Amino acid sequence: MNLPRFIDLYEEGDLNGLDLIQLGEYLEERTHIRFRVRGNIYGKITRKKSEEVAKEFGGMRVRDPGKRFVSGVPFQGEVEYERRRISNPTWRIFGILYEGGLYQTTISKLIVKGGSVFNRCMILFTNQLLGTWDRDNSRYHARVSLYGFPNLISVTGLVEAPAKPKGFYLKKQMGLPVEELKKEYQGRFLDHGDLRVTEVLKGYAMQAFFFHITGDPFCEDRDCRLFNGHWQEEVLHSQMDGQYEFCPRHEKILEGIRH
Amino acid sequence: MAQKRQIFTPVSEKEVTRAIVDGFARQFIEYVESDCLIIGGGPSGLMVGRDIALKGVKTLIVERNNYIGGGFWIGGYLMNKVTVREPGQKILDELGIPYEKAVKGLYVADGPHACSKLIAAACDAGVKFANMTMFDDVVLREGNQVCGAVVNWTPVNALPREITCVDPIALEARFVVDSTGHDACVVKKLEERGILKTVGFGAMWVEQSEDLVVEHTGEAHPGLIVTGMAVATTYGLPRMGPTFGAMLLSGRKGAQVILQKMK
Repeated sequence: MNLPRFIDLYEEGDLNGLDLIQLGEYLEERTHIRFRVRGNIYGKITRKKSEEVAKEFGGMRVRDPGKRFVSGVPFQGEVEYERRRISNPTWRIFGILYEGGLYQTTISKLIVKGGSVFNRCMILFTNQLLGTWDRDNSRYHARVSLYGFPNLISVTGLVEAPAKPKGFYLKKQMGLPVEELKKEYQGRFLDHGDLRVTEVLKGYAMQAFFFHITGDPFCEDRDCRLFNGHWQEEVLHSQMDGQYEFCPRHEKILEGIRH
Repeated sequence: MAQKRQIFTPVSEKEVTRAIVDGFARQFIEYVESDCLIIGGGPSGLMVGRDIALKGVKTLIVERNNYIGGGFWIGGYLMNKVTVREPGQKILDELGIPYEKAVKGLYVADGPHACSKLIAAACDAGVKFANMTMFDDVVLREGNQVCGAVVNWTPVNALPREITCVDPIALEARFVVDSTGHDACVVKKLEERGILKTVGFGAMWVEQSEDLVVEHTGEAHPGLIVTGMAVATTYGLPRMGPTFGAMLLSGRKGAQVILQKMK
């Protein structure tokens, strides 16, 4: 088991009310491993590096979710957009789907500086949308999280990736206004700026932690916070209304770490 | 018995014709070369034109239809109410366009009122128009710098080829603006020549597309500024739906880019 010395929390863009201190305290309480809020991921990079990163991000947009990603030379306008995004720590705009694996590589180059990656469990919370290719249905899907070194957790992905109740989509297809549907299905899915986001992401951060120590972030028990929910209702259940926080097997691992 | 006075001054037919030809020719000769040539007279093109012309930039808008204004006359589904999301209503205020609040952050105006006011604002600022004029090709210089457009009469395109072998003509400008909507005609022409590659717009996502369109507005290629929905096509951004705030703000941003580059 690879126990880290620290859990480092990084930020990218406006996280829409996510309370990283509260989330870090939760992680520390559950794992007895010290957390550190490291702030804006781009806070300390040089101008030259930022230029390099802007070009890389510009070239990793998923143009067509139905096709495998092909890298290409980005437009100047795309690089300029990325440059502005990187230089603004409170950037709010999202809607571009980035190739998640490539995104992770770029972020890794920014925060993994020599030494063993196992010493720190690094988690970046971003407001950008990340996608990975799904071999089963041959298309890109937006994701809430990409576990690795570092771990990426998308606040926007939490709203956009897990599916809303089926009825929501059916009624939307029938032409009902989204605002009305949001009222009708209130509470059954997470929306941007939802007050429950911090609580829900505590579970995703724990998944990142478990990935770090065991290589497996998930649990098949839908009452455990490590359950990989694909529907909003599953996510809300395992993160907020589960029978317990962690299933007996994972709770035992945590107890072992704490003692 | 006193003769009944005519209302209008007597003028012969030939004088009317001369006035039209002379007025058109003088303006056309003057605008064969301009500072900025805007292709597409929809809301974003009009907004660019209005803002730069107010700063004294010599501007010509080329519009393929007889009417100016593009889709700004009507909202979605042929209903003549147009919506803008905050902060787009600030431009409505600036242009003196009345509107009502629909819900928080969303405003609705009469399409005909909004569109005619925007056209008038562009005209008042000094923008000139070549309507019923189709964009045909780009004029390129060293380094593939865009510095003009090849145009022709719109009806030429609609008639049988045997009787319409009409050569187009070229207009030169320091900047060309592609504000041709989803068609992105100018950008597509560069793509045909292998100079640029567009992506095509994505699925509709109103909440995000407006921000992204404004943020991506700018110079897509040396000498070529892209505004409005042409931005979405160029960069593969989500399509927008019947809301116009981003068209106005994208136009404004395009104007700022041009003014900055002209310094």
